[in-house]
Amino acid sequence: MATNPNNTLISVRDLEKHFGKGGDIKALNGVSVDIYEGDVTVVIGPSGSGKSTLLRSLNLLEEPTSGSIVFEGVDIAKKKDASGKPLNLDEHRQKMGMVFQHFNLFPHLSVVENMTLAPIKVKKTNKEAAEKMALTLLDRVGLADRGASYPSQLSGGQKQRVAIVRALMMEPDVMLFDEPTSALDPEMVGEVLEVMKELALGGMTMVVVTHEMGFAREVGSRVIFMDEGKIVEDGTPQAIFDNPQHPRLKDFLGKVLI
Amino acid sequence: MLTGKGFESAFRYIELFWKGTATTVALSALTVFFGFVLALFLSVLRLSKNKPLKWLAIGYVELFRATPMVVQVFFIYYVVFAGVKVLPGFKFLGFIAFDRFFPAVVALALNSAAYLSEIIRSGIQSIDIGQTEAARSMGLSSRQTMQYVVLPQAIKNILPAIGNEFVTIIKESAICYTIGVQDIMSAVNSVKGATFRIGEPLIIATVLYFCLTYPTSKLIAHFERKMSHGDQSK
Repeated sequence: MATNPNNTLISVRDLEKHFGKGGDIKALNGVSVDIYEGDVTVVIGPSGSGKSTLLRSLNLLEEPTSGSIVFEGVDIAKKKDASGKPLNLDEHRQKMGMVFQHFNLFPHLSVVENMTLAPIKVKKTNKEAAEKMALTLLDRVGLADRGASYPSQLSGGQKQRVAIVRALMMEPDVMLFDEPTSALDPEMVGEVLEVMKELALGGMTMVVVTHEMGFAREVGSRVIFMDEGKIVEDGTPQAIFDNPQHPRLKDFLGKVLI
Repeated sequence: MLTGKGFESAFRYIELFWKGTATTVALSALTVFFGFVLALFLSVLRLSKNKPLKWLAIGYVELFRATPMVVQVFFIYYVVFAGVKVLPGFKFLGFIAFDRFFPAVVALALNSAAYLSEIIRSGIQSIDIGQTEAARSMGLSSRQTMQYVVLPQAIKNILPAIGNEFVTIIKESAICYTIGVQDIMSAVNSVKGATFRIGEPLIIATVLYFCLTYPTSKLIAHFERKMSHGDQSK
């Protein structure tokens, strides 16, 4: 799981995101970073540091004010592709799975329907094949018997595991996690992190915004520390946790690692 | 004063009431259908990022909600369809004069679309943005997201309000007797002219309208319960 600069999957350059009247709040203030294939890149930082905004910009749930995001050779931050045609963002989003803090399962659909909606409607996979795949994935996360359940019948940890396999149904090239355990009761955090760890061991490229420092240290191949819309420090988990350089990182770690 | 004799003479025209009821049902059902389709379209325009389209939808809704229904019905019948002049005069179902019925459906549908679209808009806006984000993150287009994720949930939430609007349409359709549609209210008017009695035919009309609206609201409530599975947590 070593960082390999030869396999850049996402290349972010000079990304800015301004909010508020006259754009005076800079959620992202010139972020440049490369995400490498097979890496588990963990983004940490205090709240309001821009880490979620960065993650949500990667699949353009947030539209950046300026800068570029090159994903698999295409600058998706531009509205047009290389030949000048309007960019079909949906095609690129299919290859980036996303898992949200609040799960965002569809309450009106069963677990299997949640998982097969996008494959059937977007990829035009036939229903039987999609359902078979869904059941295989559910089995992998220990939820083989919950396929017919509705989200409201699941615990938080189960919901998040379903959300993870729902994103995997599209066979994405990268998985984005936006504080996946922050809304969970403490006793359910472990089961979700376990699924994420297995995914990482399977070689999935992952970008994870989290407050779980244990996960960052154990599973992360690289840790990025953000503060005030900028990347302040970027290195291996060992370097970040055992030998922090920047005073703001030291201060942050002092507060979260007791 | 209501008298047995009065009812007796009113009942001699019961045929008019049956036909009137069929007309009221046909008028309301078609209004609900066309009104709902137009309302879906309006609510999507209302929420679109395209400013002119958005303002068009807002203008439409405000205009129709701010003017009396009778003005709208007269305007559609006497002004808009006066230009058409040659609406086919055939009788729909054998007794519904199409050249009066059709403008009535148009007027009622245009009016109820304005109200329904506001209900649908509020329903769409009540769905957490996370639902849209999750759908879009998987590659669903904005249209697919609306169709498969947002609208099914929104409609479930607004079903009681939609049911109310359907019941309202049945009641308000009574205004169409003023342009000569032979609905339940028109039967009252005819019987009044023939028997010089108003109370008895009005009682009959009241019973008929109630028999239409009450089961409708019960039916909607039934669907509401049926659709509420899988959402116990909210």
